[in-house]
Amino acid sequence: MDTDEVSRRRFLGGAATAGAAVLGGIALMDAREAQAATPAGLPEPQYFDDPSGARIGLRWAFSAVVFFADRVMLNTMPEAAGRGYTSVGGGEIWGPRLKGRVLPHSGADYYKAGFNTYYMFEAGDGAQIFIHNRGTMRRFARPWQPGVPLADPPAHPSPDHPVWTRFRATPTFTAPKGPHDWLNRTVFVADARRQPDPDRTVFTYYEVL
Amino acid sequence: MRDFVVPQTDPATKVQGAVHLEYAFRLRARYDPPRASDTPRGTFRYQDITGGELEGARVKATVYPDSGGQYDIVRPDRVRDVDAHFMLRTDSGEWLYMEHVGYRRTDGYYRAIAYVDADLKGAYEWMTNTTFVVSAEESKDQREVTFHYWIAN
Repeated sequence: MDTDEVSRRRFLGGAATAGAAVLGGIALMDAREAQAATPAGLPEPQYFDDPSGARIGLRWAFSAVVFFADRVMLNTMPEAAGRGYTSVGGGEIWGPRLKGRVLPHSGADYYKAGFNTYYMFEAGDGAQIFIHNRGTMRRFARPWQPGVPLADPPAHPSPDHPVWTRFRATPTFTAPKGPHDWLNRTVFVADARRQPDPDRTVFTYYEVL
Repeated sequence: MRDFVVPQTDPATKVQGAVHLEYAFRLRARYDPPRASDTPRGTFRYQDITGGELEGARVKATVYPDSGGQYDIVRPDRVRDVDAHFMLRTDSGEWLYMEHVGYRRTDGYYRAIAYVDADLKGAYEWMTNTTFVVSAEESKDQREVTFHYWIAN
């Protein structure tokens, strides 16, 4: 049974019982168009193919810099196992599909074996957008290049033996209905980079197409 | 709520970071038919995973039958929140745990992020602390899903 179809029929049925079957059809079409619509003038996507012909694309959507306030470890377990708390102070958001700020003191990274961050964006129009950001981090000897296996990081990093940190963030958003609704139905992957003094991370968010 | 003044930083703060996708492997998964129920959050939709084969240059594995499946919700806007959890065994006998978070839309978009846990002392440690970006296709009866995994390098 196609349960998505059940859901669709329920959607239409609700409209029909309101005595507006035709309107229900229009609402359905609107929902479809809304899902497919993308604004003009966005950056060129980059596409990647797999051997079976499947294709996936990335397109820069927006960036954010997040400034942190407190860094706390709750216990003496190794960082990989213990619970940490890194509070969000604030920050700003810029890019083609979203502009605004990080709502001040709106949350933190409550990490445990991988980061796990909860805080709020405030878009330029005042919309309150919840971001739940998870991610992974791993260190290698040099940046990834096509066809070259990644190597373990040097035991003693130096200018001659640099370290590349592959820091990836994968957020899910809860955004209000309206112009930011696309965030609720789009998968994202970001490059993340920690920068010191002041303690901050810059995220470059890509929509997965 | 306390205010926060964004510190003035070097313009280089606004660095444009890059993500490169590297194809890793493919999973053809088989499921029982969905069991749907009406919930306050939408149509909850459980599908038991019954089998599947994962194939890539660096790993081959089979889905451990009945080790989980999809715990999805079809929202009122008809987008399906995908939440999949299951176990696999590699051809060398190691266990893998896979988790998927993503969206399946009525316009054919089916994308997710996958996270994998493996034995840190085993041959598949490289899959841990790695973000996989996933595209998927579902058969018409929704009982076969092909997932394509790319490493976000």
